[in-house]
Amino acid sequence: MKLLKTRRRLVLLFSLLLVSWAGWGGAAEKNPQSVQVTIRSILAANKSDEFDAKLKGMEQQLKSLKYRSYHSLKDETKTVAWQGSQSFEIPGGRTLTVAPQDFQNNRIALKVHLTENDKPIVDTTVKIPNRGNFILGGPPHDGGVLVLSISASAP
Amino acid sequence: MTNCESIRELIGSWLDGELNSAESDSVRAHVAGCPACGELRRQLEKLHLALKDDLTAEATRLEFMPFWRAVQQRITQKRAWHEDLRDWCRDFFTAPRIAWSVPVAIALVLALVSLEAYVPGWRSGGARNNFAAVDSIDAYGHSVALLRENESRTTVIWLYQDQEGENEAAEDTKTSGPAF
Repeated sequence: MKLLKTRRRLVLLFSLLLVSWAGWGGAAEKNPQSVQVTIRSILAANKSDEFDAKLKGMEQQLKSLKYRSYHSLKDETKTVAWQGSQSFEIPGGRTLTVAPQDFQNNRIALKVHLTENDKPIVDTTVKIPNRGNFILGGPPHDGGVLVLSISASAP
Repeated sequence: MTNCESIRELIGSWLDGELNSAESDSVRAHVAGCPACGELRRQLEKLHLALKDDLTAEATRLEFMPFWRAVQQRITQKRAWHEDLRDWCRDFFTAPRIAWSVPVAIALVLALVSLEAYVPGWRSGGARNNFAAVDSIDAYGHSVALLRENESRTTVIWLYQDQEGENEAAEDTKTSGPAF
């Protein structure tokens, strides 16, 4: 009888711990203070077969673009507050402005605005998985095209 | 002061030797000083003795040989697999185990849910679903393509420069050919 009571208490304690854990996990997802945004500028061209070793982690993603060479031009990471925005200087006089909008279901909504010499090129709103990325490419640059990998990570 | 009611609940266990030494000492001290609890102890001891006497007297009249024969027969006989399974289930699914299975199941579900946040892509064996959902695109008059690359699970937004555009690099994209 005494053993049963002790076990009942243990089960209750364990359940309370689980509920706290679930609550903490939910709160952690709901209230991240900021998001880390990384912009990777890559030159894709067909002049050689060179693949920049710095881009090894993105090889599969880039190879699907069907260019012959890939060269990393610039990597920049900034911490951006929710509902705030940050601008990233992109090769070729371009500017990419990223504004995190929302974080739901482990997905980050980003508003992305690309300009070239203050002239708007593209405006898009994209929801990417936390710690994931998407690719924005196509603007001509230095005999090839510019490929931007835009990734975001919420703590 | 020790509570009589709580001590009375423990007297039976104490007489059966089920209490630890601290609890035994506490019950013994209380029973020695409390006439009502002491009386309960005496009654329980009497009951124990009466039961013991009766059982001992009854045991001498019992014929044990058929009992032992039946035991021996059960040991030697082959049992069907479903009987073994039934016995195993009866032993395994005891009340405390069933009680524990509820929080353990909750813990497993929570662990599975949390794991995706800490180890992205574990569910798909490393091939993480990296697809993005594009809510809106405005390319300010330029041609734009939205592609979902299945092998790397990547979303690509590709801007095609106008062939007659003012950008002098437009020729370069023409020579670099289609991107996909």
